[in-house]
Amino acid sequence: MTTVHQLVPTISPRDAVGNHTLALRKILRELGFESEIFSMFRHTDLMNDTHYVDRLPGDADVVIYQFSIGSPVADRWAQHPGLKVANYHNITPTSLVGRWDGLLAAEVQLGRDQMARYANLCDHAICDSDFNRSELDALGYKSTETIPVLFDSLDARSDRSTLAKLERNRQGTQVLFVGRIAPNKAHHDLVAAVRTLREVHNDNAHLHFVGTDGPPSYRSTLNGIINHAGMRDHVTFHGSVSQEQLVSHYMAADVFCCLSDHEGFCVPVVEAMNHDLPVIAFSCTAVAETVASGGLLLTEKSPLLVASAIHRVRNDDALAQRLRQAGRQRAKNFDSEITREKFHRQISNLILESL
Amino acid sequence: MSDSQSDAEYFQEVVAEIELEARQRAATGEYPRALLRSLDEEFRRWIPDASLESGIEDTIRSIEAASYVDAAVPLKSRSPVGSFTKWVVRRLTYFYHRHIAQQITALGIHITRPLRLIDASLKNINRRLSLVEDQLDVGAAARSELIASVSHIAASEGIKEILLEHFRGVPGRVLFGDLFEPSLLDFLRNQGVDIYGVTPNDEASAAVDIQQTELIEHLDHLDSNALDGFVLCGITDRSSLNEQLRALRLLLLRSRAGARAAIIVAKPELLSSRLGPVAADLLQGRPLHSETWCYLLSRENASDITVVESSDSAFSLITATLP
Repeated sequence: MTTVHQLVPTISPRDAVGNHTLALRKILRELGFESEIFSMFRHTDLMNDTHYVDRLPGDADVVIYQFSIGSPVADRWAQHPGLKVANYHNITPTSLVGRWDGLLAAEVQLGRDQMARYANLCDHAICDSDFNRSELDALGYKSTETIPVLFDSLDARSDRSTLAKLERNRQGTQVLFVGRIAPNKAHHDLVAAVRTLREVHNDNAHLHFVGTDGPPSYRSTLNGIINHAGMRDHVTFHGSVSQEQLVSHYMAADVFCCLSDHEGFCVPVVEAMNHDLPVIAFSCTAVAETVASGGLLLTEKSPLLVASAIHRVRNDDALAQRLRQAGRQRAKNFDSEITREKFHRQISNLILESL
Repeated sequence: MSDSQSDAEYFQEVVAEIELEARQRAATGEYPRALLRSLDEEFRRWIPDASLESGIEDTIRSIEAASYVDAAVPLKSRSPVGSFTKWVVRRLTYFYHRHIAQQITALGIHITRPLRLIDASLKNINRRLSLVEDQLDVGAAARSELIASVSHIAASEGIKEILLEHFRGVPGRVLFGDLFEPSLLDFLRNQGVDIYGVTPNDEASAAVDIQQTELIEHLDHLDSNALDGFVLCGITDRSSLNEQLRALRLLLLRSRAGARAAIIVAKPELLSSRLGPVAADLLQGRPLHSETWCYLLSRENASDITVVESSDSAFSLITATLP
C-alpha cells in the first residue's frame, strides 16, 4: 500500500493548521493511502491519534510537510528520501512579531530561512492562497498550486446558553473578530476603531475577541490600551471556544471586522460569511483575496474610517443585506466539499505521476 | 457582468463614499481631532522592543522552561489496562527517567548561561551608548526649542496655482512632506490631485489624509515606485544637510519614472535674518539655495527644472520632472 504521511511541527485541535492536517489525513485515507500524522508537539487530545516525529518511517512514499513556522521537523522532512510535498500556510514576517516575542521571532525567522533553503528540495507545493503561492514562486519553488485550506463549515448548532448571554447583554453594535491575540492580527486597531465608533457615532458598541492568547507582551500592551481608552467594559476576550460557542458568536454579532496586517488565508472571514455576518476587512496580504467580492475591503484602517464603515453597515439595511448575500455567495467558493474534491484530484494525480 | 463583479463594484463605491464622508467630516471639524491620534500615540508608547528590552531575557527563560523535562510519563490510554500497564512501567523505570531528565535539564541551564552573558553584555553596551549619545548631543534640547520657535513661511496664492499646474493630471499618489501648511494640501486635493501629507507636527496632522510621522521614517517604509509625485518642504528649512539629501534620495527611490517633483524652500538670507544670531549658531540645519536644489535634481537627470520666486521673495519653488 502506498504510504502518504504528514509532518507538522505542532498538532492541536481548534487550530486552523491542525484541523487542516486532520482533514487531509481523512482524504488521504479515503483515497486508499496509508496515512498518519507525525509531530513534535502533540495536544493531549490527539496523543493516541498521532505519532511523535521520530516514528516517521524512512520508507514512506510521500511526505507532506505542513509549513507555518520554523521547526526542526522541517529538516526531517527535507532529509526524507520520499516524494516531498509542502503545504504552505504562510509564515508571519519577523518584523511583525520581533518586538513582542523574541522566541517566536526566532521561530518565524527560522521558518523563512527553511522556506528559502528547501526550494530546490521540494517536489511540489500546495498553497492556501495565491498570495502564499507568490512567495514560494519568488523563492524558485519549481511546482506550486493554490488550494484553499480545509476547514469545517461550522455546521454545528449554536450553544444556547452562550447565545442567550450574548443577546441578553447586547446594546449597541456588536463587533466580532476571531483570531489568536497576536500583533499581526492588529487587535489594537480594532479597539481604536470601536472606541471611535462609540464616541463619534454615539453607538454603545461592544467588541468581542474570540481566540487563544499569543505573545504575553502583546496581550499586556493591549490591556493597557483598552484601559487607557476607557474601553474596559466594552471589550470582551472570550478565549478559545468550542465549535458550538463559536457559532453563537457569529450569530450574535452585527459585523465581523478584520484589520489584520498579515494573513495567509483567514478562515474566520469565510466562517463569518457562512453565518450571514457582514464582513469589513483591511485589504492586505491574503485577506483581500479571501474576502474578494464578499465584503467591504478598506484600503486603509484609520480608526475614523473603520468606525464610519461599521456605522454605515449597521445603519444601511440594504447594504447589510447585500453584504450578507455576497458573503454567502463568496463562501461557497471555499465549500469544504469543493476543496476536498480539489485535494482528492490533485493529490491522486501527483502521486500517480510520481510513483 | 456576473453577480460577484457587480457586488465588488458596488462595495468599492460604498468604500469610496465612506472615505469621502470621513474626509469631509474631518475637514469640517466634526470629528474630534485629538481622538483620532491619541490611541495611535498610546500604542506606540506601549510597544516594547523585544530585542532591546526584555526579549532576550524572556527568550532565555523560555529555553530554560522548555529544557525542564518531566520524568512522569503520561498515563492516559484508550483502555484501563493500558493505563495500568503504563503506571506499572512508570513506577519501575522512574529512577532511570529521572536520571536522564536531570541531565537534560542541567544541559539546558549550561546552554543558557552563555546566552545570559551575551544579554548582560548587550545591555551594558546599550547603557554606554546612551551615555555617549547624551555627552555628544548636549544641545539637543536647546535646538528642539529653537526649531519649535521658528515660524513657517506661508505659501502665496501664486505658488498654489503653479503647484496645481505642475501636478494636474498626475495619475497616482503625490506625497506632501513634511507638511507645514495643511491648507496647501487641501487646495491641491480639492482640485483633484490624489495627495496625502506626512508631518511630525501635532497640529497639522489632524486631517484624515495626513500621517503623523517623520518624513524619512515614512519613506523608509514606503514601497519603490509608490509615488507619482512629491512636494518637499518644511524639512528643507530646518533639517541638517545630511537629512535633506537623504529625504531627496529616498523620494527619488520611491518615485516612478516621469514623476513630478516640487521643492519649496525658504530664502536662506530671509531665514537667517529671522532666526537671529543664537538660533543661527545653534541650529544644525538651514535652507539650501535654490541653485543647489537645481544642481541636485539635474544630477539625477531631472528635466524641465524651473525656479519661481514668491512675490514677497520669502521662498523659492523648484519644479521638475523625474527621468
